[in-house]
Amino acid sequence: MLDTVVTVLTTGLTNGALYALATIGLSLVWGSMGMFNMAHGAMLALGGYLTFTVCTQLGLPLPVAVIAAVAGGALFGVLLYLVVVQRLLARSTEHFETSVMIATAGISIALEEALLVAFGGQPLKQPFTVSGNLHLGQSVVPLLDLADVVIALIVMGLTYWFLSGTKMGRAIRATAQNRDAAVLMGVPVQRIFLQALAISGALAGICGVLMSSVTQLTPWFGDDPMLKAFIMCVVAGLGNLPGAIAASFCLAIIEAAVEFLAGARWGFPALLFIVIAILIWRPAGLFGRSQIRRL
Amino acid sequence: MHDIASLSLSDVWAGYDGPDILKGISLEVQPGRIVTVVGPNGHGKSTLLKAISGLIRVRRGDITLSGRSVLPLSPHRIAATGVVHVPQGDLLFPNMSVYENLLMGAYGERDAKQTAQRLDEVYALLPRLAERHRQIASSLSGGERRMAGIGRGLMAGGRILMLDEPSLGLAPLVIEQIYDVIGKLRAQGRTILLVEENPARVADLCDDMHLLDDGHIVWSGPPHELMGRDELLAAYLGG
Amino acid sequence: MVNFIKDRSSRWTLPADAWIGLLVIIIAVAVPFVIQSRYLLGEVILALIWAGVASQWNLLFGYAGVFSLAPMAFFAFGAYATAMLSYYLGWSVWLSIPAGAIVSIPFSLIIGLACLRLEGVYVALLTFAVAQMMYLLIVTDTGCFQQIGGSCVQFTGGATGFSDFGDFGMRPLLHQYWMIGNYAVVCCGAFLTMLVSWIVIRSPMGLAFRAIRDNPGYAMARGVNRFRTHLLVFGISAFFIGLLGGLYAVHFQAIGPTVFSLSQLLFVIASVVVGGVGSFWGPLLGAVVLTGADEFLSDFGEYRSLGLGLIITAFVVFLPRGLVGEIVHLFALWRRKRQSHV
Repeated sequence: MLDTVVTVLTTGLTNGALYALATIGLSLVWGSMGMFNMAHGAMLALGGYLTFTVCTQLGLPLPVAVIAAVAGGALFGVLLYLVVVQRLLARSTEHFETSVMIATAGISIALEEALLVAFGGQPLKQPFTVSGNLHLGQSVVPLLDLADVVIALIVMGLTYWFLSGTKMGRAIRATAQNRDAAVLMGVPVQRIFLQALAISGALAGICGVLMSSVTQLTPWFGDDPMLKAFIMCVVAGLGNLPGAIAASFCLAIIEAAVEFLAGARWGFPALLFIVIAILIWRPAGLFGRSQIRRL
Repeated sequence: MHDIASLSLSDVWAGYDGPDILKGISLEVQPGRIVTVVGPNGHGKSTLLKAISGLIRVRRGDITLSGRSVLPLSPHRIAATGVVHVPQGDLLFPNMSVYENLLMGAYGERDAKQTAQRLDEVYALLPRLAERHRQIASSLSGGERRMAGIGRGLMAGGRILMLDEPSLGLAPLVIEQIYDVIGKLRAQGRTILLVEENPARVADLCDDMHLLDDGHIVWSGPPHELMGRDELLAAYLGG
Repeated sequence: MVNFIKDRSSRWTLPADAWIGLLVIIIAVAVPFVIQSRYLLGEVILALIWAGVASQWNLLFGYAGVFSLAPMAFFAFGAYATAMLSYYLGWSVWLSIPAGAIVSIPFSLIIGLACLRLEGVYVALLTFAVAQMMYLLIVTDTGCFQQIGGSCVQFTGGATGFSDFGDFGMRPLLHQYWMIGNYAVVCCGAFLTMLVSWIVIRSPMGLAFRAIRDNPGYAMARGVNRFRTHLLVFGISAFFIGLLGGLYAVHFQAIGPTVFSLSQLLFVIASVVVGGVGSFWGPLLGAVVLTGADEFLSDFGEYRSLGLGLIITAFVVFLPRGLVGEIVHLFALWRRKRQSHV
């Protein structure tokens, strides 16, 4: 019995931390500019492959490779803004939400296919790994999972510090909460959007490395976590960061429990039913107030 | 103590997507003066402030600050030149504390010492905000929100403060407090462009008054001379 | 009401649509005489199927404003239902195709009840998740439902899907010209679908769509119920998308979980985006152009989907009106210019 609980909690907390990291990246961009970034999953894969390239193929030290993933993700976010988002924002606010979703879906498949062409479809081994196990009585907790959780928590802490303690972070939150007022305070919102996408990309980079360390590195590995992260954002109320983190952990533990009790294939359907039930009950999400986006 | 500048509008035409709301507005805000634009609701008072701060596009005419046109500038650049717009209904950042809202007001200020000094000034002027500085903005009362909005505007250290109906929707007692604050700002020698629906309420408070009727300025002069004039009656009653 | 008059779709008067329709039918009849290659005719069949699906998705997204990412889920549902009815119960495909289309309706209504109370991107997200869930449940299905020979068949067909459950019966009828028979059947299905799209757009319901999209408050005040209207159009589109799914499954005599892939969904969306969102002829033109482009890109093998992704993004960013929208726009400019010269 205790084994079961430990196993479910280990899986749940590990996945929860990773989902939370993906969710923050999505929520940041949604909250500040109303953009659903369908390419986020592909950006997770980009981070994973960048680490693989720099570490395994070029033979550079692992920390350099992880930094490369973060920088590459941020750069991709910047490019995404300059090439796609900026033009769509300039055109109309009314259709922005749907058109940016379709455009980033296109980017997503293009990036994944590019990774497929470059690296092939066979699963690769993520060089970021920790071997060994932690024994808790009868049950075994892999140290890799523990390391992932710790790193994810550190990154979340840094993000929290950035958003609440720095001027740039405060301006991002201000823009998310009231764009017009931010403009009147002299905040250049275009630059804020660029920064939000860059940070979201950087988060996707590190998140991709951690995620592919517990699963496998394929061009599509990010699609499934992205969808779940979206679901967690929605449950929390889109754009609400603390809520999104809480929802990520709760849903990941529920998912792990369902997968353990009923089989792996029922994890995702269970999540979806919970989400639909919550949304019928509270259309703006658990912590969301309608029309107010929190960050 | 504050940079002085004069704001001048000449023959300004502007509107939203549809027809012109402002139909050839000209007015001048001299340094150190409190200028009030009065007029009934829906005749373009807020639109006037939005045109100055660049939120809507000016179709004809010019707006200059110390002789330099602000029309080519985007709204956040206009804010950076020192034209501080405190919009109607505060538009605070709802999930930030009062303190963070005030800090956002000083967004354009690079010097941390300046920011700290202004924060002290604002807290001295509006002690209520000092009491509430850790509270989330959305939990403030109406009067406190309005004061936070004004305080946030003051934090910019701007050269011209534009207040859009700071008394709107408040209880009479609270309105008095707000105008008390504006009176103190006047005593400090601030330059203020105030928009107000009720001319009698601000007559003692300002130096120049302009009456806006259907997008035109139909009367300008010292505030007390406006009372009882035909233009005033026509604007408010004549429709 | 001014919005209705300004709407780009009503710029097309009835005769214009009728003329274009006639032209399309003439081309459709001429195609089997002009195209001798069986392979190319197969590609045209595929283009027609996607044109039909895209036309229904355009009805949902471009007219009714329902951003559903589940069209391939309904397509797959119709296709699987057809395949399973013929495979397990031995029904003739002529019976199981309409049956598959009909059962797609209650299926879509269940999904609609769950998802359509929300709006915009939420609908997109939930419908996308539903499609993904169906995919996962099918590919992870390992329980044996039937033992055929030494191998095991899962109820949903599992990762491999179904094949050899019946065909249109054109081979004994038309011998080496059987592909033309398939073409005729699919053509009828696709044109019926487009005709119904047209009728819905021109019906009072089409007016309700536009009212909801342009002015939700006013529409509600006039008694238009957004949820019910959206549910209705969801059901209609599910029927026709399911029908096309059945035709697809029978034409290829196979159906598998790959229909759920993102690139398949994007192909449908791209057909609408490239052709022109909210323009009636857009999806047909888009599907034909994209099938052609796909054919061209297939020479580049692995870059095929990459190209598709970039095309979608490029159109959304640079040509948001789509091909038909641009043509209409240029035509209007040209006419205004000519008038001003006179």
